[in-house]
Amino acid sequence: MSLKKTVEKKDFWKNLKEYYNDPAVLKAKANEFADGVTDEFNPDTLNTVSRRRFIALLSASAAFAATACSDYQDKGEIIPYTKRPEGVLPGKPNFYATIVNGKSVLVRVREGRPINIEGNPDHPIYMGKIDAQSPAVLLNLYDPERLKEPYKKKRKIDWEKADSEILDLLGEAVVKNKEIAIITDRIASPATLKLINNFKEKFPTTKWYSYQSSGDENKRIAWQSSYGSRNVPSIKLDKAQIILSLESDFLGREGNTIENTRLFTQRKDVMNSNNFNRLYSVEGAMSLTGINSDYRIRLRADAQLEFVLSLLNEIVLKKNVQQITLTASIKSLISKYQLKNFINKYKLDSIKINYLVDDLVKYQGQSIVLAGEILPVDVHSAVIMLNEVLGNSALYDYNSVNLDFHPMSTSDELKGLVSSASKGNIGVLINFGINPIFNMPKELGLEEAFQKIPNTISIVESENETSDKSTYTLAASNELESWGDNYVRSDIYELQQPLIAPIFNTRQKENILLTWINGSAEAYSMDAIHHFVMENFKDIYNLQNSPVDFKSYWYNALHDGFVKVIPSAQIKYSFNQSSFDKISSTETTSEYLVQLQKSYFIGDGKFANNGWLQEIPHPVSKVAWDNYAALSPNSAKELGVENNDYVKVVVNGKFLEIPVMLQPGMADKLLSIELGYGRTVIGDAGKNSGFNAVVLMSGTEVSNYLLTNAAVTKPGGSYKLVSTQEHHPLDDNSVKDFHKIRKIIQEGTVEEYKKNSKFLHEDEHNLIGITREHKYEGVKWGMSIDLNKCTSCASCVTSCNVENNIPVVGKDQVANGREMHWIRIDRYYSGTPDDPEVSGQPMLCQHCDNAPCENVCPVNATNHSPDGLNQMAYNRCVGTRYCANNCPYKVRRFNFYNFRDHFADAYYENELTSLVNNPEVTVRSRGVMEKCTFCVQRIMEARETAIAEGRELKGSDVKTACQSACPADAIVFGDTNDKESKISKYREHELGYHVLEELYVKPNVTYLAKLRNTHSEEA
Amino acid sequence: MNEIDYTREIPVIEGRPALREIDDLIAKPLETKPDKKYYLALAVTLTMTGIGAIALLLSFYYGTGLWGNNNPVGWGLPIVNFVFWVGIGHAGTLISAILFLLRQRWRNGIARFAEGMTIFAVMTAGIFPLIHVGRPWLAGYLFPYPNQHSLWVNFTSPLLWDVFAVSTYFTVSFIFWYVGLIPDFATLRDRTSNKIKKLIYSVTSLGWRHSNRHWQHYEMVYLILAGFATPLVLSVHTIVSFDFAVSIMPGWHTTIFPPYFVAGAVFSGFAMVQNVLIFIRKIFNYEHIITLNTLERMNKIILLTGSMVGYAYAMEFFIAWYSGVQPEQFTFINRAFGPYAWAYWIMVSCNVIFPQLFWVKKIRRSIPIMFVIAVLVNVGMWFERFVITVTSLSRDYLPSSWAYYAPTLVDGAILLGSFGFFFTWLLLFTKTLPVVSIAEVKAVVEGSQPSHGDH
Repeated sequence: MSLKKTVEKKDFWKNLKEYYNDPAVLKAKANEFADGVTDEFNPDTLNTVSRRRFIALLSASAAFAATACSDYQDKGEIIPYTKRPEGVLPGKPNFYATIVNGKSVLVRVREGRPINIEGNPDHPIYMGKIDAQSPAVLLNLYDPERLKEPYKKKRKIDWEKADSEILDLLGEAVVKNKEIAIITDRIASPATLKLINNFKEKFPTTKWYSYQSSGDENKRIAWQSSYGSRNVPSIKLDKAQIILSLESDFLGREGNTIENTRLFTQRKDVMNSNNFNRLYSVEGAMSLTGINSDYRIRLRADAQLEFVLSLLNEIVLKKNVQQITLTASIKSLISKYQLKNFINKYKLDSIKINYLVDDLVKYQGQSIVLAGEILPVDVHSAVIMLNEVLGNSALYDYNSVNLDFHPMSTSDELKGLVSSASKGNIGVLINFGINPIFNMPKELGLEEAFQKIPNTISIVESENETSDKSTYTLAASNELESWGDNYVRSDIYELQQPLIAPIFNTRQKENILLTWINGSAEAYSMDAIHHFVMENFKDIYNLQNSPVDFKSYWYNALHDGFVKVIPSAQIKYSFNQSSFDKISSTETTSEYLVQLQKSYFIGDGKFANNGWLQEIPHPVSKVAWDNYAALSPNSAKELGVENNDYVKVVVNGKFLEIPVMLQPGMADKLLSIELGYGRTVIGDAGKNSGFNAVVLMSGTEVSNYLLTNAAVTKPGGSYKLVSTQEHHPLDDNSVKDFHKIRKIIQEGTVEEYKKNSKFLHEDEHNLIGITREHKYEGVKWGMSIDLNKCTSCASCVTSCNVENNIPVVGKDQVANGREMHWIRIDRYYSGTPDDPEVSGQPMLCQHCDNAPCENVCPVNATNHSPDGLNQMAYNRCVGTRYCANNCPYKVRRFNFYNFRDHFADAYYENELTSLVNNPEVTVRSRGVMEKCTFCVQRIMEARETAIAEGRELKGSDVKTACQSACPADAIVFGDTNDKESKISKYREHELGYHVLEELYVKPNVTYLAKLRNTHSEEA
Repeated sequence: MNEIDYTREIPVIEGRPALREIDDLIAKPLETKPDKKYYLALAVTLTMTGIGAIALLLSFYYGTGLWGNNNPVGWGLPIVNFVFWVGIGHAGTLISAILFLLRQRWRNGIARFAEGMTIFAVMTAGIFPLIHVGRPWLAGYLFPYPNQHSLWVNFTSPLLWDVFAVSTYFTVSFIFWYVGLIPDFATLRDRTSNKIKKLIYSVTSLGWRHSNRHWQHYEMVYLILAGFATPLVLSVHTIVSFDFAVSIMPGWHTTIFPPYFVAGAVFSGFAMVQNVLIFIRKIFNYEHIITLNTLERMNKIILLTGSMVGYAYAMEFFIAWYSGVQPEQFTFINRAFGPYAWAYWIMVSCNVIFPQLFWVKKIRRSIPIMFVIAVLVNVGMWFERFVITVTSLSRDYLPSSWAYYAPTLVDGAILLGSFGFFFTWLLLFTKTLPVVSIAEVKAVVEGSQPSHGDH
């Protein structure tokens, strides 16, 4: 074997050069790793991408690829302002004063978008407080089913075209001497009043009708005949020691409930227990006022006249009280009514009545008798007399009179409208923002008359029963997009300004009228109404002798939302007794009485498409989404009906089938039905909600809400009413009085408290914890709720809904017990079904120190903050619902669905409605637990401000949504570590207690026990 | 004249079968093709599983709102089912581990099957905690894993303990079961001529050669695992009961829960095992292996645990009264006479009253009667969990938030699906693995062990 040879001989060669041993190749081979290999590498010739840049690109493209493959949801664009509007700072809210729902309010606006409505804090009547209805108007603004364009015969039409056509029609009507009918709601705006008068001048054949399905017309008529004025003075309720409410729901739905509640509850202040007022309520149906009374007497509304006359008899003739001298004819009239006979006839509790009479006599001039709006004129007249006899007119506040610009149309006027329509004498009918076909008694026949009127125009925000029948349907702007004013009380003139440009192609209804007055379609400009309102405001300015110029005065007024009007002269009415002679007493029958009432939250049906308002449970029955016939358990037994069963009500040939709800405390043989439900031409939210009781109303007496001689039968069948509270029969002994046994509700009487101020805590044990207490340094949040002041009005509920983006879940989910309200108002009955005692209690997360929800969450999604808040980390929540199970107060709310698209087939899923959300609060998704946060976003905002201002955060810097809404000021929030603070005083108060104290969860919501101002020491 | 010879122990396996026969008999289902009835049964269980799967998909798509759960009643059927299925699993471990340690030779014929049921029941149960949450896709948050947020799970939550308890239980049961299967895999490997089967059995038998040394190791491992599994029998349901007992709800917050739950679990587990075995021994001709004596012994345990459960019911009432705590007292009165009284009395009659019939020997030994009673026990035990979960929540502290809970169709479909899922696995088991332990049965056949009985 020759090794050499093998070396020489090539077994493998790659090319000829190699085979022939080319030296260059050999050299290259010998020097495999020659320097030259890298010599040719010149970074400059390469791409200029640096190593860092390469890594950056690599990671960026990896991230890009990862993002592209992930399911990142594009939530839409965020476009910054290229030109920032003056005064708008992204992320910072602006506040504007305006009028919403007839109330002076402060609207919170974020980046040009109204997101919250609170009371106007500077306003002497509202003082920053709000009712349950007004904040929810936001949902109307962002209602996807609003009218977005003007329509003619259901087809879109241009504004210009519509205006010029209508102008021709109006002109033609004038020429042909045909009537132009305009139907409005009660007008409280001087500008609108002037506008209508201008319109009448321009089109002289115009006739103005105004109509309300419920209101205080009867009271004003009575005042007109007794005092010669329809302008009723307001009442100094805070000066009243004794209040007797005759079917008057002044805390719930009559008059200015915000002011009433505030004044009433000023006299329920535990810090001043000698000053408690006493409320007697005589009523047939169970009202919010009734449940807040110290004494409640069941009496059918049709017996009220007899009752007042008997009281007059007792007080004037027996007790010889005569602050005014009565004429002989009146004396002889009242002499026929003996209180004793009355008590026997209606089987009333004579002890209660005697207390009432004694109190009225004792507190002459310091008491007030209020008659309900649904009562007939005669009762109002009698009550006026009673107040005069007792000298209670001292409480009338003539400095602040409830003004009235235009009386409601009488039945005869409305009949005239219908008959001239059927005769073909009406050329044009303008429905100015209301819904007369739905709200007027069917007997009047307006719907049929509509067919006979050649041209009907509805200026409305959303389609309704009337616009559906109209030739023209003109899309009106929302209140929040409008200019206007209000002059409701003689001492205050309020202004309305738009907070957002019209979202759709809508026009303010006053502006439409203005265009017509100006006589040409081109005359329209969005600013026209602005100038009109401003010009009109000059009248007030001129009266005031203000030292500043008009512009400044105007801007100041706009800023404040109102101006105080100095009354020109002190007015005091003189009482005219002769009106009393006309009173004729009616015999009550043993047949059923139907009592039609205003709905607490949805108005006359105007808010029927507002999910927030539909979902607020009735303050007494806790039924949501429907109306019903409230019936006493006794009468139900007689009729053989139970909850949810239909009854057929027949009144004078008109009938209605409606489900019943057994309401403890109702007078027997009485059906109480709320109006405004049963709308048919309406959006998704309002569909199939309730029954229209207007059909029962009489055409000959439009303001008669008491329908006597009703025949009630059981037609069979049942409906499903949903309620947020289970109905436990009061006579079920196994669950009776649990709220008292378990000390959920603790009550006493004023006498008891005066005698022994520590009575509440006498038999209490000292609770000992076995774990180490956590120390809270700095601010520790706490709340107190004064049950003496809380009336269960539900203002807090709406305000919380608006502030915290609480979804509407719909009737089906309320039926399943899945309503999402973070604050609810629990209602408990005690006593007998005939004469129940009602206790209300707002219930929200108690932010317990030893929160039982926190230790059971497997993923730590709910935990405690250093300032004592029980917090929820929505992102972390998997939704085991263990926390909700372990919460003894059951205040945690679970998103069983994505309620934002579940409700009524994705009703919420549109670009518009999401604008209603508060950007400071997370919108919760499906499968997540949520609950009251003590408005943590407001706390954080206050903290940021404090830090920015370089000071310590104080408890009083924060007001929760419920607190700022509460017209009774029942809710106090603040720093419990600050011993000087208001909250500490309430927390340490002798009447303060915690619900379910013995569980030692150490809640941070203190309730102040209710003191009933009764005569005995027993509650 | 049927004199019982009390000097002799009753044979566990009747009829002195030859060891070879035992091999043949037990391996037979694995070596023959399934018949029509088998496919029919499988079709039924798969349909049930499918219905459950559809219901689950709907729930995932739309949300837990499809179920009956509401505001006070946060836990409904899924948790009821979870506790029920975990309970079913308990008999298996008790039979295979505790009875093994107690040297109960009669358990050999049924241990394998009971253990299989344990595993399938725990698998079924394991579905529920995951699906019952609002956002199942985030169920991973329940496991403590390191993450950049340094977010840790909450170790004070009983639900977390559940996660650990159930997963540990499943793991240990599975290993125990598998170890027991090794000698049988070897037997099967040796018997089969099918290449694929041989490969599979070769792998799964881990090279078992029936050598003395192997047996020595095997016995030791089996003993250790039995010792290991024993406390788990007690711990798992104890921890499941903590889900309730650690809370502050009236009717849940009671110290009796751990023993009461364990007794109940064994009770329902035995009933389920007994039910299924009655079919198995008939279908596969195992009457002499799973003898009537064995069934009777199981019935005695059902009687014992049923009585324990009954005692617990009574004691709950007594303690509620004795405590003087009004909400607690009301909860129990409400259970018996409130809106869920129907469920409560189903529970009491099925769990306390009917099992008492087992005092009668004739009933204990009558297959149709014992079958019906065991079915009732399972119904009753399911209702026990329903009563505990739902009644306490539906009427707790504040009367204002009380509400009635009614399961929906979707809830029902998921329950049906869980039965389908469980029985599908069981059916597959009977055709793929020896449902009776060949090795263990051989060990207890008369004459298989050296004896000195004649001396």
